[in-house]
Amino acid sequence: MSATADVIVVGAGVLGAAAAYRIARAGHRVRVFDRSAPGREGSGTTAGNLHVQAVHTRRPGQAVPLDSARFLPLQRAASDLWAGLEEELETSVELRRGGGFTVAETPGQCRELHDKHRWEADAGIKTEVLDGDAARAALPLLGPTVAAASWCELDGYANPLKVTPAYLAAAIRYGAEVTPFAPVRGITRDAGIWRVTAGAHTVEAPVVIDVAGPWLGEVAALAGIRLRMTPVAIQMHATVRVPPVMSHLVQHIGEGLSVKQVTAGNVLIGGGWPARTLDLAGRSATSTASLLGNVALAVRILPFLTRLRLLRAWAGPLAATPDEMPLIGEVPGAPGFLVAGGTYAFTFGPLWGETLRRLAEGAPPPVDISDLGPERLLT
Amino acid sequence: MIVERDVLVVGGGPAGLTAALRLAQAGLTVTVLDEQAELGGQYYRRPAPEVAALWGDHRPEGRRLVERVRAAGVECRTGHLVWGVADDGRTLLAADPAGRPVRLRGRHLLLATGAYERAIPFPGWQLPGVTTPGFAQHLAAADHTPIGDRVVLAGSGPFLLPVACTLLALGVRVAGIAEAGTPYRAGLRALGAVRHPARLRELAGYGARLARARVPIWQGTVVLRADGGDRVSAVTLAATARPAVPVRTVEVDALCVGYGFRPQTDLVRLLGCAVRADAATGDAVPVTDPAGRTSREDVHVAGEAAGIGGVHLATARGRAAADDILARLTGRPAPRPARRIRRLARFAALTEALYPSPADLLATLLPALPEHTMACRCEAVTAGEVRAVAAGPAAGDLNATKAWTRAGMGPCQGRACGFAVAGLVREAAPAPAAATPVFPARTPVRPVEIATLLDLAAEDAGTDGPA
Ligand SMILES: Cc1cc2nc3c(=O)[nH]c(=O)nc-3n(C[C@H](O)[C@H](O)[C@H](O)COP(=O)(O)OP(=O)(O)OC[C@H]3O[C@@H](n4cnc5c(N)ncnc54)[C@H](O)[C@@H]3O)c2cc1C
Repeated sequence: MSATADVIVVGAGVLGAAAAYRIARAGHRVRVFDRSAPGREGSGTTAGNLHVQAVHTRRPGQAVPLDSARFLPLQRAASDLWAGLEEELETSVELRRGGGFTVAETPGQCRELHDKHRWEADAGIKTEVLDGDAARAALPLLGPTVAAASWCELDGYANPLKVTPAYLAAAIRYGAEVTPFAPVRGITRDAGIWRVTAGAHTVEAPVVIDVAGPWLGEVAALAGIRLRMTPVAIQMHATVRVPPVMSHLVQHIGEGLSVKQVTAGNVLIGGGWPARTLDLAGRSATSTASLLGNVALAVRILPFLTRLRLLRAWAGPLAATPDEMPLIGEVPGAPGFLVAGGTYAFTFGPLWGETLRRLAEGAPPPVDISDLGPERLLT
Repeated sequence: MIVERDVLVVGGGPAGLTAALRLAQAGLTVTVLDEQAELGGQYYRRPAPEVAALWGDHRPEGRRLVERVRAAGVECRTGHLVWGVADDGRTLLAADPAGRPVRLRGRHLLLATGAYERAIPFPGWQLPGVTTPGFAQHLAAADHTPIGDRVVLAGSGPFLLPVACTLLALGVRVAGIAEAGTPYRAGLRALGAVRHPARLRELAGYGARLARARVPIWQGTVVLRADGGDRVSAVTLAATARPAVPVRTVEVDALCVGYGFRPQTDLVRLLGCAVRADAATGDAVPVTDPAGRTSREDVHVAGEAAGIGGVHLATARGRAAADDILARLTGRPAPRPARRIRRLARFAALTEALYPSPADLLATLLPALPEHTMACRCEAVTAGEVRAVAAGPAAGDLNATKAWTRAGMGPCQGRACGFAVAGLVREAAPAPAAATPVFPARTPVRPVEIATLLDLAAEDAGTDGPA
């Protein structure tokens, strides 16, 4: 005999945790499975940036640019949800909205800053474009090559090592059952009910949410659904702890760069630089070439970094869609089978959590996701 | 700059030096790298020149070995920290003493990176004045400086005895040695009995010296806690079997606690060589054949990095690795290394068997560790926090516990706390989880100046392209 639930969540990353929390809070019986410890993959290795101004960077090696303008209403909705998150979860996730700069160095990049500023205005996100000197006056740490920068006071950071655990703890308070070290190995459907086997457990439910991150495609395939998703591994770098020097997020409009100082005092340097290997069975290995490239770029924009010491580098996996846009929605022809993933899922965590709840209840989503569904990725 | 050699040896202790000498004598180009300012490693630690002039050299055979290595034409790069491996999987990345980047490529690599000390936390171990026996030894050998005036040594293993003797020679008052096991039950002198191997006779010699100085050896005794204001002023001891019940308190101004050594395998792992978890110690030990050959054709490991066994075994392993590397690079047949190494390894095992296994010690000591004890000193994470996270959300996973508590994320990268944090996690795990014996090796092996990385990036952008 197998157990039953209202919703089965496959994957306890930030999306699985946020969805489980929202759905359990609404009174449904939620069962969460993870193949290992929760929050260890994309959601445990992520940079943890909350991107509110338009993201316009390409990861080094990224083939297609994402549609920045299309992102903005989603970012705005996510931003609003982040604002109330600590109160909602009744715990600190080291949420900091110190604002952020996106810098430009070349004339072309400066023009892009202005384009992006227009889309932001259209989406109701307040940003300001500063010339190089004004940017340096606002953030004296910026280096001489910065020709312009856009400022958004809503950009921020939350400690990813706190966010997923906080969501899970809240979900558990509302009765969700979380089972780690239980990889989902089988998904079948019979008489409108999904039956999921994970380790020694079998559970039946009308709704299954596949939020398995890098394994999203693999898990969908268990249910006979083929999605074009590509797992990639990117890496991060941290300096030793130093006293507070900067409270802003700094990004680059044309190259892979994000820099901020976290609560513990370490400066985190990222920007989507590729890892040396993608290892979904273990830990992906970092690339020294990426380390050097990313750090050199960071020093060019923030020269003070050259006085610090690098403490460590790590790599983490994420699932990229061919168009670099988020994936969220119900799989056509598989009623009750919901998927969510794609890049920037950390920023979108609270939003996709709520969206998945509405979809699970058959209610309309809080934002327009009609073009973000799995249809476009089915093969 | 790219340095190209037949063989690169990382680590200038007995194993690395012995191997380098043999390889250079056979006509190969060899570079030895060591992060310390002087060659010699832990055992043949060279005194600073001023110190040597005043006080002489406590181990002149070490100086002679270094001289022979230099005379044989080995390029010696001291003060060079090897912090990583390039993406080609074989170029070593180092920083020279001025912080300039150095890239090195060898047809063959020999890793003789030694060991670091095994620590088990106790309340108060973060107080100034609490160190390890190895640090006290280092200070004495390199700078002729005593670690304190009145010192207790504690922990387990043969190493406590020579360190106590070194401190006595410096005029330190050694208030006592707390040995967690009961290795000297029959009396230290009995160890010297004729049929015991040289290693044990050596121990008996230390024992005699300590007895003359009336240094008590408290067997079956561990540290319960250290107390003090801005510095340690007292240590309270307990019986190993009842580690929470105080037995005696001793006033000290320095306390040195160590439970033997763990192989230093970061580079071995960064190079992708296979390691296995040792059941008794929980350490990641490289998988090697008797000559030190790893799962990688072109990488050997020798000395304590290949397994703890003392200077003689380390030297023998260095020699065997050199012979095997010579065979590979020159086609000259290698003499079979096995016998001497097997004999020494047996002796090492014999000595080791006198002392409690680190795993057993953990199992005895950790449950008694109060919740407020600092488990990770770098990040100030308590035992209670580690236990709660491991038992709860991290579901017994070491790396998840690390991520959620920050234990092991500080500048030492878990070298000091890793053993104990892994133990706490195992103990608190809701179910026996897939065992992860140690935190994974990370780049950089030690914190590296960003200025160094920048210079390296600039070189990479130059003519010879990314390595
Ligand atoms: C280095 C890095 C930096 C990033 N920086 C940012 C950033 O600054 N801002 C931002 O918004 N986004 C960022 N991202 C992206 C974002 O962090 C991730 O997209 C997001 O965390 C993914 O969350 P997730 O819940 O979808 O997947 P994950 O966190 O990867 O979780 C998926 C979970 O599914 C589990 N699972 C897999 N297969 C199975 C199975 N068969 N059965 C059960 N469980 C299974 C896994 O064990 C895992 O726990 C970054 C990503 C990385 C790697």
